[in-house]
Amino acid sequence: MPIKLKKQVTDILKIMQEEKSEIIASKLAKELKIDYIVLMSAVNDLKDNKLADFEEEEIFQISLNEEGRYYKVNGLPERILLDILRNKKIKEITVEELLEESKLDKKIFFIGLSNMKKNRWIAQSKATGEDKIFLIAEDYPKTKLEEFMDNIMQNKNNLDFSTLSKDDKVQYDLLNKRKLIDKRRKTKRVIFLTDKGKKIDLSKIEILKQVSRITSEMLSSGTWKDYHIKPFDVTKPGPLLKAGKIHPMINLINQIREIFISLGFTEIRGPIIESAFFNFDALFQPQDHPARELHDTFYLNNPKVSKLPEKDRVLAVKKTHENGGDSGSLGWGYKWDEDIAKKTLLRTHTTATTIRRLADYYRNNEIPPIKVFSIDRVFRNEKVDKTHLAEFMQIEGIVIGERVTLCDLIGNLKEFYRKMGFEKIVTRPGFFPYTEPSMEIAVFYDKLNEWIEMGGSGIFRPEVTYPWGIKNPVRVLAWGMGLERLAMLKFGRKDIRDLYINPIKWLRQESY
Amino acid sequence: MPTLDLKIERLERLVGKQLEIKELEYDLQWISLDLEDVNEEEQKIKVEYNPNRPDFSSPEGIARALKGYYDLELGLPQYEITQGSMTMTSEPSVKKVRPYIVCGVIRDIDLDEDEVGTLMNIQEHLHWAVGRDRKKVAIGVHDLDKITPPFRYKAIKPEEISFVPLHGDGDPMNLAEILQYHEKGIEYAWILEGKDVYPVLLDKNDEVISFPPIINGILTTVTDDTKNLFLDLTGTDFKAVNLAINILSTMLADTGAKIESVKMIADDGKETFTPNLDPVKWEVDMDYVNDYVGLNLNANEMIKCFQKVRFDAKKSTKKADYLDVWVPAFRGDIIHPVDFTEECAIGYGYFNLPLTIREGCIGEYHPIQSFSNKIRTIMIGAGYLEVLNFILTNSERQYSYMNKQYREKSNVQIANPVSKEYDTVRTTILPKLMETILFNRSEEKPIRIFEVGDVILLNSKAETGADREVHLAAASYHENADFTEIRSALDFIMTALGCYDDMELNPDKNPTYIKGRYADIYVNGNKIGEIGEIHPEVLLNFKLEFPVAALELDLQNLFREK
Repeated sequence: MPIKLKKQVTDILKIMQEEKSEIIASKLAKELKIDYIVLMSAVNDLKDNKLADFEEEEIFQISLNEEGRYYKVNGLPERILLDILRNKKIKEITVEELLEESKLDKKIFFIGLSNMKKNRWIAQSKATGEDKIFLIAEDYPKTKLEEFMDNIMQNKNNLDFSTLSKDDKVQYDLLNKRKLIDKRRKTKRVIFLTDKGKKIDLSKIEILKQVSRITSEMLSSGTWKDYHIKPFDVTKPGPLLKAGKIHPMINLINQIREIFISLGFTEIRGPIIESAFFNFDALFQPQDHPARELHDTFYLNNPKVSKLPEKDRVLAVKKTHENGGDSGSLGWGYKWDEDIAKKTLLRTHTTATTIRRLADYYRNNEIPPIKVFSIDRVFRNEKVDKTHLAEFMQIEGIVIGERVTLCDLIGNLKEFYRKMGFEKIVTRPGFFPYTEPSMEIAVFYDKLNEWIEMGGSGIFRPEVTYPWGIKNPVRVLAWGMGLERLAMLKFGRKDIRDLYINPIKWLRQESY
Repeated sequence: MPTLDLKIERLERLVGKQLEIKELEYDLQWISLDLEDVNEEEQKIKVEYNPNRPDFSSPEGIARALKGYYDLELGLPQYEITQGSMTMTSEPSVKKVRPYIVCGVIRDIDLDEDEVGTLMNIQEHLHWAVGRDRKKVAIGVHDLDKITPPFRYKAIKPEEISFVPLHGDGDPMNLAEILQYHEKGIEYAWILEGKDVYPVLLDKNDEVISFPPIINGILTTVTDDTKNLFLDLTGTDFKAVNLAINILSTMLADTGAKIESVKMIADDGKETFTPNLDPVKWEVDMDYVNDYVGLNLNANEMIKCFQKVRFDAKKSTKKADYLDVWVPAFRGDIIHPVDFTEECAIGYGYFNLPLTIREGCIGEYHPIQSFSNKIRTIMIGAGYLEVLNFILTNSERQYSYMNKQYREKSNVQIANPVSKEYDTVRTTILPKLMETILFNRSEEKPIRIFEVGDVILLNSKAETGADREVHLAAASYHENADFTEIRSALDFIMTALGCYDDMELNPDKNPTYIKGRYADIYVNGNKIGEIGEIHPEVLLNFKLEFPVAALELDLQNLFREK
């Protein structure tokens, strides 16, 4: 088969045949005034046809950095200081005076001073009580270092380190220690022809027509057959696609939403600006409870007061607090204040919305079972840092049913967490002010090989449900958890704020 | 949550059983305790207990529960009380300032260093868990042999009496001076704020035993030589002061000391003896408990469950299928029959509970969440990356950065923000997108982002004074971002929603956007959003280097119009 090459490649082959020895690729590219990448692509074509080859060599390039170039023009600090002394014909001077005189930066001044001593130009003594220096040399020829800078480090251009003589390398080390050098590692490619390449008769090479993309004209005219379609390096990654994508948190929320719906739960949604009544009072939280205090809850100046629901329900809640009402409880035994219940706040848990659902149950005379859930925002008046947020997502599941039991709650939890991917869960006694019995939930997280607290659960206390007409044997099972803890584990993030400040690099990379 | 350090060796002595940390780690969770920390070397553990169980505030209290768990001792813990002859008389003057007092005597104490630590610690825990920082209950522990009965509890004028307080500089101070200058006085003065008389405890010789809830007198300081203790607990809640003295005195009795009661004479002459450790009797419906937990225990099985949590229980002689249950006097958390369901479940062992699921229901999406997800799919198709921001925001960035006037009255205002960063909640999403672009401005462009989420709008007619609505905002940031690009996105969205033909764009002025490159978006004559190119001043406020084209749609309204 005849060898087919692009015209440009054949031209390069011709030049290489004329040159006898091997050629440095970058030099050749410069001579031919073509792009280095184009040249190497041609060389690769030659290599594929066994006409040429190349060798790679790592080279170490050095050049003066900005500070070094400044000294090359204006002299090293030691020379600057020396010139000051000699110009003013000063033989001795205190260190302090010279510093003043030189107007040099203190750090640079002392570098200069120490090098003057190394060069044996001066001596330093405190014998007189003052820190003084004395000129001690007869003449001050250029040092080897200065000569090296003048002669070898000619200009901005890079110098191949391997071309330096042994002496020069010593001087280079000095410059390097003084941090006046920029260093770069580069690959030098030396190209040469194979025997086949040296001997081949150029007239016998067919010109290859190559394209890198197919045009519509080639397709319609059928000329695509005449072209060689340039192969690509298919192992290389493509450029970054700046496309659309769902946020990882929303994706996680949607997964959990699907789990709830598959278990027969319906999503509920309620106000973010909430009354203390639904957020606290309806949960049998006494009005002097520490959790209601300012440092945990965002209270509002505007809007300042909320309306309360129907009078008889407010009264039912009031009575439950004061003496237990009809719930069978003793209550808290204090005087309940309606004004405290009217305060507005950013809800601290989605349970406020759950209570609103219980209120609807009462108003509509609904019949159990009812299963609802929410995955929604809640707020706590906390300083935001790596592990704390003032605003986060809470997941809550609720079952209203006749004769539902603690064992039913465990059954629901087991199924819910199994669908979330946690096969092993443990439910143990816990305490929450508005549930009895209460349980803490821990799940076994395989990736970390440890048990992780994953939420709380329980049966709503009669004091919570009775005001809404939910009376034994109808009961309310409830469980809840924060979303962020799970998200941090799933996404492997260390800073909880990342979930809400949108580092786009992460959003583009995160896998679901 | 409160925590407690426990020495394994001391716990072993109290429980009467050899204990391994590994086992405890597993066992403690079933009596509602959390193991926080383990120190294998010193054989110490740190446990966390729930605030409804202040009786867990000492190793003695935890040991009682563990003995039940391990079947080593069942039923009510037994305590003997010697009836004492000392009296404490409450005078009517205390009624308005700090009405309740209970006292007790503990004889023959012999505390080692560790137990002294517990005595200090338990007071701190009780002040916190039961006492609401001394307001509801304050505890005083005194050397009994330094004072002479009978004792009196009365309220006096702030300047009426002076005495040398504990932890002072040794000089007598009157009550007003203590509140003003004494370290503890300054700390707890808030409890007595607004009162014109203050409570004091006096002995027969008018020596001041204590100025509750602030500080004891130096006279009764407890030392290594103290043999007998006098306890005073004062407060504003009768149940709470009794609970606290019961927890404190049973803890001391568990160290081997003897409890002796004190005769309390109320202002009406009524006499009672405290501490009173009589258990509280409840009638418990077995069906109710079984039905609640999901078990089917017979009387003997359920009695055993209650005994394991250190209650006493017997079959009721009056009602079939009922138990008479006696709850120890140091348990303050049993206030409703439902509380017995949990105790029974703990006695039975949560780990033994079977699991069931019974209720069938049909799950449904919330319509606005389904709609939001539909919008997300469309935006992804349009090539926009979803972002997620806080609803909490800062009024300066929400308004002045956007070239808008901030009007206090028309915005939600947080009364007590911990940081200035969050002083309101957002009314539009766009400023948050601008912040997101600022945060990411060095990333590869184009940056095209969107957010679907809540905004909060004041509405005086709404129940809580505000409405929650869902918005979509989208923004494009790159060298060539312009109105045409964002208009194409809007057309794409509205076409996908089937609203394109009902849409109308009305050019208008809006300081956030460039004049002539802004429009209000209407559907069926209702304004549902805005679209335009962001004004250069706004770009500079957010330190951006390229133009931004953006839109914001009110999805709630759009959903309604659809």
